[in-house]
Amino acid sequence: MSKLKTSHKVETLIWLTIVVVFFGYSFEFSQEIEIYKFGATGWPRVVLGLLLLVTLGNFLHLYKKGSEAQQGRVGITDQEEDISYDGIGSIKKLIAILAMPLIFAWSLKPVGFYSATPVFIVLIIVLLGEKRIKWVIGITLFIYFLLIFLFMVILNAPLPQGNISPFYDFSAFMLTLNTKLHQSLNF
Amino acid sequence: MIDNFIAGSIALFGDPFSIGIFIFGVIGGMLFGAIPGISMLTLAAILLPFTASLEPAQGVMLFAVIYCTGTYGGAITAILFNIPGAPENAPTAFDGYPMTRKGQSGKAVGAAVLCSAIGGVSSALIMMAATEPLANWAISNIGPPEIFALVFFGLAVASSVGGRTMWKGWMSVLLGLLIATIGQDPVGGINRYNFGFADLAAGIAFVPAIMGFFAVSEIFVQAEKKAIGMYEAPKMSLDFPTILELWTYKIAVIRSMLVGFFCGILPGIGATLAAFMGYGEAVRWSKNKESFGKGNLEGVISSETANNAATGAAMIPLLALGLPGGAMTALMVGVFQMHDLEPGPMVFYNSPELIWIVFAAMFYANLSILFIGLIETKTILYLLKIPFQFLAPMILLLASIGSYIGRGLVLDVIIMFGAGIMGFLLRRSGYSIPGIVLGIILGKIGEQNFAQGMQMVHYDVLEYLSRPICLLLIIAGFLTILTGIYKALSYSFRS
Repeated sequence: MSKLKTSHKVETLIWLTIVVVFFGYSFEFSQEIEIYKFGATGWPRVVLGLLLLVTLGNFLHLYKKGSEAQQGRVGITDQEEDISYDGIGSIKKLIAILAMPLIFAWSLKPVGFYSATPVFIVLIIVLLGEKRIKWVIGITLFIYFLLIFLFMVILNAPLPQGNISPFYDFSAFMLTLNTKLHQSLNF
Repeated sequence: MIDNFIAGSIALFGDPFSIGIFIFGVIGGMLFGAIPGISMLTLAAILLPFTASLEPAQGVMLFAVIYCTGTYGGAITAILFNIPGAPENAPTAFDGYPMTRKGQSGKAVGAAVLCSAIGGVSSALIMMAATEPLANWAISNIGPPEIFALVFFGLAVASSVGGRTMWKGWMSVLLGLLIATIGQDPVGGINRYNFGFADLAAGIAFVPAIMGFFAVSEIFVQAEKKAIGMYEAPKMSLDFPTILELWTYKIAVIRSMLVGFFCGILPGIGATLAAFMGYGEAVRWSKNKESFGKGNLEGVISSETANNAATGAAMIPLLALGLPGGAMTALMVGVFQMHDLEPGPMVFYNSPELIWIVFAAMFYANLSILFIGLIETKTILYLLKIPFQFLAPMILLLASIGSYIGRGLVLDVIIMFGAGIMGFLLRRSGYSIPGIVLGIILGKIGEQNFAQGMQMVHYDVLEYLSRPICLLLIIAGFLTILTGIYKALSYSFRS
């Protein structure tokens, strides 16, 4: 008897879509290489063929056994414990936590590291449940200045500066401060 | 050998400036190894220009010391936060982090300190005794066909570890291999799967992918638990393993030393595959296989012994043949070249003192891991006391910076967070994150060596299999795969 759930069908469909999209896209670079018989597509297509086979094997397992773990598997961690949500609020919170770092990453190019970072730290701390304002501000300032000290002052690492005003101007101001500090210390 | 070693030790510790460089390398390597995303490579890259003002022996010695201690440093965050400081520490997290969750962090870190030191010291000793003969053996017996066979075997082992089913283990490995095909193909330089993004032509870098799949996805897993009120702070413990307890794992230590040393000698393979294979072999020979991934001390011991055993071995192809085995040894070539030296057989004749200072420094650096590691461990364990809501932004930002500064691409930070979300969802569905990561790491190496190997044997499979090491590894790989398929199918059809 089938133990398939809708989530199993969606999972299989996603894998099949990956195989089809990547296989289709492989025709974009299907060029011969004079010194190599299998060309640029040989290796990825073998990987895709194998992926198709194991996806079908996985579907068979899902059909027969559902989400059940195979007996005797090594190294299955405790991450796979059952998680249940008590309401829409916790789901919204999780989506916000997942989305926030991506928004931060996307903002790095226009806004720059120096301006985007403190906002990101505050939002993550609050989303993770910290409500004490003094702690939120204190820890944000601590992390921000620690990172600035380590990567800007000590390591001189080139961090994203942003490309729109006033964020770019703020980054330029920070870098000027750093240069003056280095000059005054003869660093 | 002993006379040369003593002479190297005297040269190292007879000069206060050399001692200062040695101490800087030990502490710097440990610190940079322990910060997620900011690996020992970052430190080495920053220091490279400054080595021009040092003596050649001091420059090479500094990098060798950073290599030894940096490989150990990455184990600390792997155990405490499930965030490997470097790819070679990834298998350490499989059992190290579950041990932390169970309140056995002291035991795991203590074992990592001791086994890193044992692996490193033994490797340094073998390196001193056998650099020349081993290098000669490797050059005549190991080529691209053997390296591909080893990668094939490594992937077969990886598919059997992690993943709720054998199918999911393989799907994870193949996803990693597919991700590794993004960017230019290793033979003709043709762009593959860049989907219109010019920056993707350079491929997916290891650091953002590893940070995303391990560090970011772990933060998301814990954040989810926090959001639904299931979060439990990891328990801190200072109970180090006893000598008697570690003695029971002596066979695992010796096996991992051998695996690590063998992998370390092979150019391009190095400490990462050594750690995965050391872990895989520990699982294969264990009577208690199911306990791996749930906090088995043997998992930490095997991984950390193997990756440090690879450090000394990786110096053999570099010093004897001039072939760098990985990124860190490639940077060492840069140090040689800055002083108009070429690593290779002639160094043994032209600058023997340099070789023995480096050998002695690596030996003492590995010993330092033991002493400094044990002293600093208790302090480091207090990191677990930091509330998650304060630790999470710090880790996310360190991982972001680490991903960005590698190539200066914001795209790498986006890829890292994308990999984090993907890793979070895949973990929930029972896929193997280590399998994906190993697929990414070995994909390019495997494809490149397969192409070169096929050209060498003129695409003749029989000629390929006539090479004994290839035949052995390919048979071992297929046996692992077929056993897995048999077990999976018989389980599926069992009522």
